[in-house]
Amino acid sequence: MSTSGHTAAIEHLYIDHHPWLQGWLRRRLGCAADAADLAQDAFLRLLATPRQFNTAFEARGYLRCMANGLCIDLWRRREVEQAWLQTLACHPEAVEPSPEQRALVVETLLEIGAMLGRLSQKAAAAFLMAQVDGLPYREIAAQLGVSDRMVKKYIAQAMLQCVLIEAGHPG
Amino acid sequence: MASVIPGASAGRRCAEPDYATLEAAASWYATLHSDEAGAADRQAWQAWLEQSEAHARAWSYIETVSQRFDPLRTGGHQAALAGVKAARRGSAGRRQVLRGLAGVFGLGMAGWMGWRHSALPETLLAWGADYRTATGEQREITLADGSRVWLNTDSALRVDYQAGARRLTLAAGEILVETGQDASQRPFYVDTRFGRMQALGTRFSVRHDARRTRLDVFASAVEINNAAGKVQRVEAGESAEFTADGIAALGQAERAREAWRRGVVVADNIPLGALIEDLARYQRGHLGVAPEVAELSVVGVYPATDTERALAMLENTLPIRVKRRTSWWVTLEAR
Repeated sequence: MSTSGHTAAIEHLYIDHHPWLQGWLRRRLGCAADAADLAQDAFLRLLATPRQFNTAFEARGYLRCMANGLCIDLWRRREVEQAWLQTLACHPEAVEPSPEQRALVVETLLEIGAMLGRLSQKAAAAFLMAQVDGLPYREIAAQLGVSDRMVKKYIAQAMLQCVLIEAGHPG
Repeated sequence: MASVIPGASAGRRCAEPDYATLEAAASWYATLHSDEAGAADRQAWQAWLEQSEAHARAWSYIETVSQRFDPLRTGGHQAALAGVKAARRGSAGRRQVLRGLAGVFGLGMAGWMGWRHSALPETLLAWGADYRTATGEQREITLADGSRVWLNTDSALRVDYQAGARRLTLAAGEILVETGQDASQRPFYVDTRFGRMQALGTRFSVRHDARRTRLDVFASAVEINNAAGKVQRVEAGESAEFTADGIAALGQAERAREAWRRGVVVADNIPLGALIEDLARYQRGHLGVAPEVAELSVVGVYPATDTERALAMLENTLPIRVKRRTSWWVTLEAR
């Protein structure tokens, strides 16, 4: 399909299904603003990856499936943000982060969470203590109840997981 | 390492570091950041870096990864750790649980042992809810008429107060209700997909999962009206469970169904298997019991949201040991 043909097809899909999708999302999320954002997102994705549907039924099935994935993403983001903010709020000296800062942090946390996915809880904790606060190994070791040598091993393990992903290595 | 491939293929890809090189780079990183790293280490690292283009490229990845942490530095590592934990719960945990199920264990064990399925269905149910709690979270709410409701771990509740009735819908999980005095004497209902409960008294708990709804009454009485139209009154101190088809009396109301509000799981001479099924609801991942120890009797009070401690307490008093395959897969076995 030519680019213009593709865009025209999306336009039709948008007119036929956008109100329906937004309504579906509103019922699921219970929030009109979130529903509007995600419905927009779904069509942007459709624009990025061309697809052809034979029936309206098929199109709605696909859109529903995609919107479902977006809901799960949104919900996960909120959960991650909440966890970060809650802990942040425990520090008396903490400053309320701006919305932009929050968005950036959540993005980073999700990325890093995925990178550290295969590591033990302790290795992940050691790596974050070193990377985020620059704590010396001695202090990390004391906090985690392991030896300095173990901390060094954790850091190397964690960094390896990260660079493997960064370099697009199959691991 | 000498290459056996002639010049033609030696292009851009040659500079891409292999696994061993990335591993060496990560190890250099760990060495340089250790407390006793000195000038000799830095010199050796410099020499390694200049040895090949692949080494330099591997190190550039290390630097890119380090920069990724920049946005987290303002919040400190504790907040970052909490966030990363939440992010990992969603990705790695779910995958590992699924892999675990497909692998080592037969489905025979999974049948009654309360392994936690993926968080997905719970999430889907919870979206329509007004109040929800995450795994391991508890929450207290006060409604317009002064009624108080406690939500246990992993629960989703919808509240619908109208002119003619006060109606709660429990989509998933567990609630404990203390109804308030309503000025206009509206009836108070709790609905699940298996039926309706009408509060005739003041204090009761409802626990709902995919298979059944359980009701424990602690004061006055509650009337069950299930989807098939069967009606049964449950008095204070009694309990019952129902599905869409039937209602069954369960005998005495369980103290445990009230005690969770205080953050504890009470075992009043119950099988270990039942206690673990209850504890498993407060954490993600698999928590199971081997059949040979599942029938051991347990008495005691255990912290609901500190599973590690609860398991340590059990390990101290029973002939069992806790086996951790991963942090997401924990089973209790005979010692």
